[in-house]
Amino acid sequence: MADVEVGVATEVPEPLELVRLCVDEVVIVKLRGDRELKGRLHAYDSHLNLVLGDVEETIYIVDDEDEDVESVRTIKKQSEMLFVRGDSVVLVSPTR
Amino acid sequence: MSFFGFDTTLPRGAGHSNRAPGFGQTHDPFAGLSAAGGDEDVIDFEDTYDGLGDQLDETDDAFNDDTFGGEPASQQSIGKDFDFSGQTSQIANTLREEEMLYRARQPPPQRAPAQQATKPARSGYESYTDPNYIPQLEARADIWGLKPKNQTQSQSRQQENQSPAPAAGRAPAPAKKMLSLDEVEAMIRAQSMGQSQPTPPVQHSQIPEMPSQMQPQSHVQPFHQAPYSQGPFPGMPGPPGMVGPPGMAGPPGMAGPPGISGPQGMPGLPGAFSGPPHILQRPQQQAAPRGYGPRQPQQVHAELPGHSVQGSPMPQPTAILQRQRPPTDSTNQQRRHTPQPQVPVHHAPSQPRQILQNPNRLSGHGQPVMQAGQRGSAGGHGHNRGPSLPGMVVTHPEQLLHLTEEQRAAFLEEDAKRAKRNHKIALLARDNGLMTPQDKNFITRIQLQQLMAASGNVEGQGSEAALAEDFYYQVFSQIRGAPRQTPHQPASQFAQTYLFQTSSRYGAGRRHGRGGDNHMQRMEQQVQRAVEAAKARPKGKQLVFEGTLGKIAFSNTKTPRPLLNVTRSETVDKLKAHAKKSSAMDRKATLRNIEAVYLTLMTMEDHERLIPPPVREGSDPEAIQQHMEWRTKMEELHAQLWQDIKIMEPINPQSLTPHPFIAMLAHAKGKKAVPRIFRHIDDTERLTVLTMIVVNLDKLSVIANGIATPEEPLSPSVREEIELFTHTVMPPLFAHISESQLNMIIGLLGLVLSHTHPQIVARTKIGMNLLTMFLSRAELLKQSAPEMDVTEWEKWTESYNRLFDAIEPALPYLFPNTANDTDDRHIWGFLAAMGVHASPEQQQRLVLGVKDRVMETVTMSKTLPTDLAAPRLANVNLFMRAIGLDVELLG
Amino acid sequence: MDSETQNPRSGMGDFIESIRDTTVMVKLYSGAVYYGELQNIDGYMNVSLNECREIRNGKVVRNWGEAFIRGNNVSYIGAGS
Repeated sequence: MADVEVGVATEVPEPLELVRLCVDEVVIVKLRGDRELKGRLHAYDSHLNLVLGDVEETIYIVDDEDEDVESVRTIKKQSEMLFVRGDSVVLVSPTR
Repeated sequence: MSFFGFDTTLPRGAGHSNRAPGFGQTHDPFAGLSAAGGDEDVIDFEDTYDGLGDQLDETDDAFNDDTFGGEPASQQSIGKDFDFSGQTSQIANTLREEEMLYRARQPPPQRAPAQQATKPARSGYESYTDPNYIPQLEARADIWGLKPKNQTQSQSRQQENQSPAPAAGRAPAPAKKMLSLDEVEAMIRAQSMGQSQPTPPVQHSQIPEMPSQMQPQSHVQPFHQAPYSQGPFPGMPGPPGMVGPPGMAGPPGMAGPPGISGPQGMPGLPGAFSGPPHILQRPQQQAAPRGYGPRQPQQVHAELPGHSVQGSPMPQPTAILQRQRPPTDSTNQQRRHTPQPQVPVHHAPSQPRQILQNPNRLSGHGQPVMQAGQRGSAGGHGHNRGPSLPGMVVTHPEQLLHLTEEQRAAFLEEDAKRAKRNHKIALLARDNGLMTPQDKNFITRIQLQQLMAASGNVEGQGSEAALAEDFYYQVFSQIRGAPRQTPHQPASQFAQTYLFQTSSRYGAGRRHGRGGDNHMQRMEQQVQRAVEAAKARPKGKQLVFEGTLGKIAFSNTKTPRPLLNVTRSETVDKLKAHAKKSSAMDRKATLRNIEAVYLTLMTMEDHERLIPPPVREGSDPEAIQQHMEWRTKMEELHAQLWQDIKIMEPINPQSLTPHPFIAMLAHAKGKKAVPRIFRHIDDTERLTVLTMIVVNLDKLSVIANGIATPEEPLSPSVREEIELFTHTVMPPLFAHISESQLNMIIGLLGLVLSHTHPQIVARTKIGMNLLTMFLSRAELLKQSAPEMDVTEWEKWTESYNRLFDAIEPALPYLFPNTANDTDDRHIWGFLAAMGVHASPEQQQRLVLGVKDRVMETVTMSKTLPTDLAAPRLANVNLFMRAIGLDVELLG
Repeated sequence: MDSETQNPRSGMGDFIESIRDTTVMVKLYSGAVYYGELQNIDGYMNVSLNECREIRNGKVVRNWGEAFIRGNNVSYIGAGS
């Protein structure tokens, strides 16, 4: 097992590597409560506390009064810099 | 003592201080007493002078002649004294030296005077006044750490003398006692006659000083005279200082030793006297200075006797002191010596007394300048020096006594030399430690800059040239360089900035740049400057650039590099297999590469901060070892970095994925790493990077995605990327290009032509800026080095023609936007650069290609307010003037 | 005992290794489901996926490409298809 892990370590040590490699890149962060952030990742920690710059926040508001017609409204906000507390983070993905 | 206190002397004292920089420079403990710090300048002295001098008891002045000799002699000496800085002093110096030599060959007693004389001469004044004293500066560098103190001490000493002067009023009292000393001396002589041999040396030292001073050094006499004429005690000048120091009593331990050592050392080695005393003093003083500060030690020397003197019964105490140290023969010896000195004869008697009174004073007063300087220096700055000399001090006195005369003589001579040197060093080293070696380097560079600028001005270029040469401006522009890159400020601007920074340090090529032909002169200012700056760097690189075929070999003797294979024809299909996965995986791999680069960069930069103190001669092995280790580590990191940037990975033209290094540049952090990387790699490696980028120019994301059309302007993210690239990657590249030789420019341009699509390249801002740099650099070289190989220029012309032909079809598309777009300066700059090299026929084609745009812009600018239109027209003129036209001609 | 305790671990490691780069399904407490190639996973159930697609109500609502999913949201991970 040790061997296996070493082999892994060189390749993909941990899932967080994905986040680490995104430092100084633009990422999309999905948050609880149907929110998304898109911004440049300046810093992160193991709790997924994040510091994002030039952030665009998108809030999805689903109006499903009518079952048939599901309409989604979005609200966007711009922020120069955001500190995001990790416990609200669901998903982090680099933009392509 | 008195000489400062006397009215008449005051001016003189001032004069001294002025001439001998040392006077005013050191801190004077007595400054407080005199309120304004008499050491600063004469005026202060006057201001603070308490007038006690007027109250001096002159009753014994009648003896002055006895003591110091007749007026005529003194006058002469006065004249010399004043002429410290003048030729007189120089002559005096030579005289002293000759005298020294002469005495060196004679019996020890005689030598003593000579050496002392020399010492005074060497007190350091001369070096300041002497125009040739600069060489000494270098000398100091050699001895840097060892002997700086002397000067400071001497200076401080002098100051002391001066500072005490105010208190001089008291001096008179001692004078009376002086007389009594004569008597004492006489007695001593009688006694000493028998003992003469053992003791003589001591006295000699003292005595000799007097004579030597008298003759060679005008200082002594002037002092004496002044005091006499004005106040009671000519000889006392030293003592006054002493008076002040009573506080010094504590230090006396320190002071005492110096004084004692001085005399003792003297005895054995009259000639050596001057040398040994210094040494002796230093060690002792060293300890003191640290604790108390430089001043105290100095004062101590001069004042030891003074303390007692001040009280009132000065003479007696001093006499006592003398007795203790230079027991008996002093008078005899003194007299013997004095006669020899020639002029001093008259003075001799008087001086000896003084000497007798204060062993310290001997040096202090009779040789006020000399000894004071020496001792003062020893005390003041001795702290630094401490270790080396102390040993000497302790041992010498006794040793000298046991030495044969020859040995003694030799020793004395050596000592004298050393003392001389110490003086010089001390003078130079007064301000030691104020600046670190880095500071000095910095200053040196500034000075060199200014020198170059000054010489460059002969060519008569105005403020611009001056700016280019101005160190501060360069720093400023460097700092400002990056932020300046707004869309409105074309690339040429930062190019220029970088060229400035890197190129103007060397004055060599400067002239060429200025000549400028018409085109260049008309060209946009930045290009012109860039050119100018770029010319300044002739280079002999160890790089072989093999033409335009794309095969480049670089090597330097230390690190031969593998060939960078840039040929396109080679096909390698292996990588195709995993092309499928590539996008995500490659991206990740690239990010990991970048991460590795940063890790190494940070390690390097961290390591840089750990650099051990610079190694010098005499550094202990451990320090050297540390340095070696540090350097080794640095080299390892360097190699690591070079590996991390993947620059040496083979280029695979067939691959769908860009070269790993190029791929890094697609990421913001990859771009940002470039300037930091450039900081750590050598020129050859930089060229490799530059070559890599040039070869893959059209694969750069900023170029591949950087073509805008009126219908499809660049997306904000791409604009941002281009902006970032412009700030981060381009400057180092430009810096390098601006130093490149023509063959390299030709080669790079050839690579663009053979490995990229010039039309694509030329239609992007980044590509255009790069091409502009090549063209400008070539033009610079053309102007600066007309003597260059003709075949080189033929090659260049050929390359240019190829470029022109490749780009001509794209001319109408160079402008991505409508004429309303203001961000076109770089395009006009590029066109200008093209136009400069173009043949008349090519110029015509050039004009044809962009004629519409020119007309559009001109027309449009007419509809704009002047302040908006002017820059637009200026941009157009950038190009128009390059080909000898002007928008004005368009009506 | 030793072997028993270790076996599960190594078995776990082996298992993860065996499903690496295969498509997995990650279900979150929120009900969202993600399919993607397993890049890596750690003890917090943090997961990183390649080619990540978000599926709701049987429809792909979003293609994330690479994605890191914070473990506290993960309900379970299963084989995907």
